[in-house]
Amino acid sequence: MRWTDLSLKSWNSKDFQLTMDNTSCPYHDPFKKARQENGVMETEVAGEKIALILGYKDVRSAAREYATFSSDAPFRVPIPSEEDARSVRQLPIETNPPEHKEYRAIVEPFFRRPMQKDYIAKIESLVDDLVENAIQQDSIKVITEFALPLQSRALTHLLNVPEKEADTWVSWGVHVFREGNSNDSQKGQALEDYIHQQLDMAKQNPGEDFFSALTRAEYQGRPLTRDEMLGFANLTFAGGRDTVIHSISSTIAYLSEHPEALAALRENPKLVITATEELMRYISPITHIGRVCPVKTDVNGVQVEADSRVALSWASANFDETVFESPEELRLDRKPNPHMAFGNGTHNCLGAIHARLIIRSLLKKLSELQSITLLSAQRSIEKEVDYERELGYKNLTVTLNR
Amino acid sequence: MPKVTFITSDGEKTTIENAIGTLMEVATEHEIEGIDAICGGVCSCATCHVRVADEWKEKVGPQNETEKDILDMEDGADDNSRLSCQIELTDEMDGLVVEVVEL
Ligand code: HEM
Ligand code: FES
Repeated sequence: MRWTDLSLKSWNSKDFQLTMDNTSCPYHDPFKKARQENGVMETEVAGEKIALILGYKDVRSAAREYATFSSDAPFRVPIPSEEDARSVRQLPIETNPPEHKEYRAIVEPFFRRPMQKDYIAKIESLVDDLVENAIQQDSIKVITEFALPLQSRALTHLLNVPEKEADTWVSWGVHVFREGNSNDSQKGQALEDYIHQQLDMAKQNPGEDFFSALTRAEYQGRPLTRDEMLGFANLTFAGGRDTVIHSISSTIAYLSEHPEALAALRENPKLVITATEELMRYISPITHIGRVCPVKTDVNGVQVEADSRVALSWASANFDETVFESPEELRLDRKPNPHMAFGNGTHNCLGAIHARLIIRSLLKKLSELQSITLLSAQRSIEKEVDYERELGYKNLTVTLNR
Repeated sequence: MPKVTFITSDGEKTTIENAIGTLMEVATEHEIEGIDAICGGVCSCATCHVRVADEWKEKVGPQNETEKDILDMEDGADDNSRLSCQIELTDEMDGLVVEVVEL
């Protein structure tokens, strides 16, 4: 079972004409050659020299060696860096232990809510509503009419705010910031204004929501500063948006190409768990994340200067053939599947329980369908100097058939 | 079917009779504190970490290859560590006692 059929169609689009052999798709694992050669790719992203760490074990251990590969670097954990997109350090991600531990503990209770039975029921019912509604339509635009509303409404449950709050978040469009366009700072500002407003309201009228919790929280025995509150909230909105939207759209696209997968999920509901993990591995919604080397560091023979960056390439690690048998095959029952789509070690994704729940609920509900007809699709491509990687969809239009 | 006991980090003991499936499945079904098992048992998350007492190690068996790679890098893991999702319960394991290792 290979996940290339659709991509072959969309390659005709003028956006990304490439020459390639027609048996393998270079977008799936653009790091293969470099990973096999010496496990590192020296490249440039947005004009910055970055060494991508590619091998599974190297990524896994680098994610734990915070003294060598540091997250204590405001704006510089994401790639490209985000000096222009926000005014505050994101928390807890842009810190190292021991500070990281106390920061993370402040918000962790919210991120554990998705393990509660009533929370699971709410997300399942949300997915149910959205899918039932989509079935009624002749066709749906998956990104704007399904994935974005699902991501936004699900997030209201995580943050324990009224579901109608999602209307505002949907109105921001798919990209809160990022996407490297000239609107970065404008969009970033809109998000910060919104968070300030929520924090002001929470202060006046505290409740059991995420913003109120931030206004009450303490760090090292003192209340959080406004910038710290902003840093937590900013990451929660930013980290959980594109990632979840890409996961939803890619899952639907995959199922549209593989009606047999729908049948298999229907016959064997347990498959939902392993299928979710395999889709996460395969999609790897975050290609890589940065770390700063405080001193000159040798990375598999590549010299990284002091204060320069490396990246932990989750996407490459997740296709490492020394760990995953036939990594380019999407196997719904892959097990074991020690993928790192949600990162690993110190900063492993806080949103992972919530994100998994969304995809599991989606697979469970969609397995009731006979088929999903793909009407049009255009992949989005991360185009960098030395590699291109497909990640999610710009457009995806389908019909859901009961 | 075996009886298994979990000892959580606060020292609390929970014994489950007629346990079936993997040790992780039994733990999550009974909401054992400290076994989050967020990946659902595919050996990705390491949030199902337990320590098996010496006298049970032989019957429970050693870490498998993937599990070993993961536990090698996990803080607080030692020779008695196992990922509970990788332990398929058998009648041989009747009376098994494991300690839950919190992250
Ligand atoms: C499929 C969806 C998602 C993927 C693939 C994903 C991936 C990741 C990855 C790879 C990291 C590690 C970062 C690092 O090592 O520096 C991370 C961290 C994080 N993610 Fe996610 N994420 C997803 C969804 C979410 C959601 C929905 C939220 C929140 C609503 C979220 C919040 C966070 C936070 C707060 C951290 C930082 C944790 C820390 O520093 O301790 N993520 N995520
Ligand atoms: S449940 Fe995730 S590794 Fe065992």
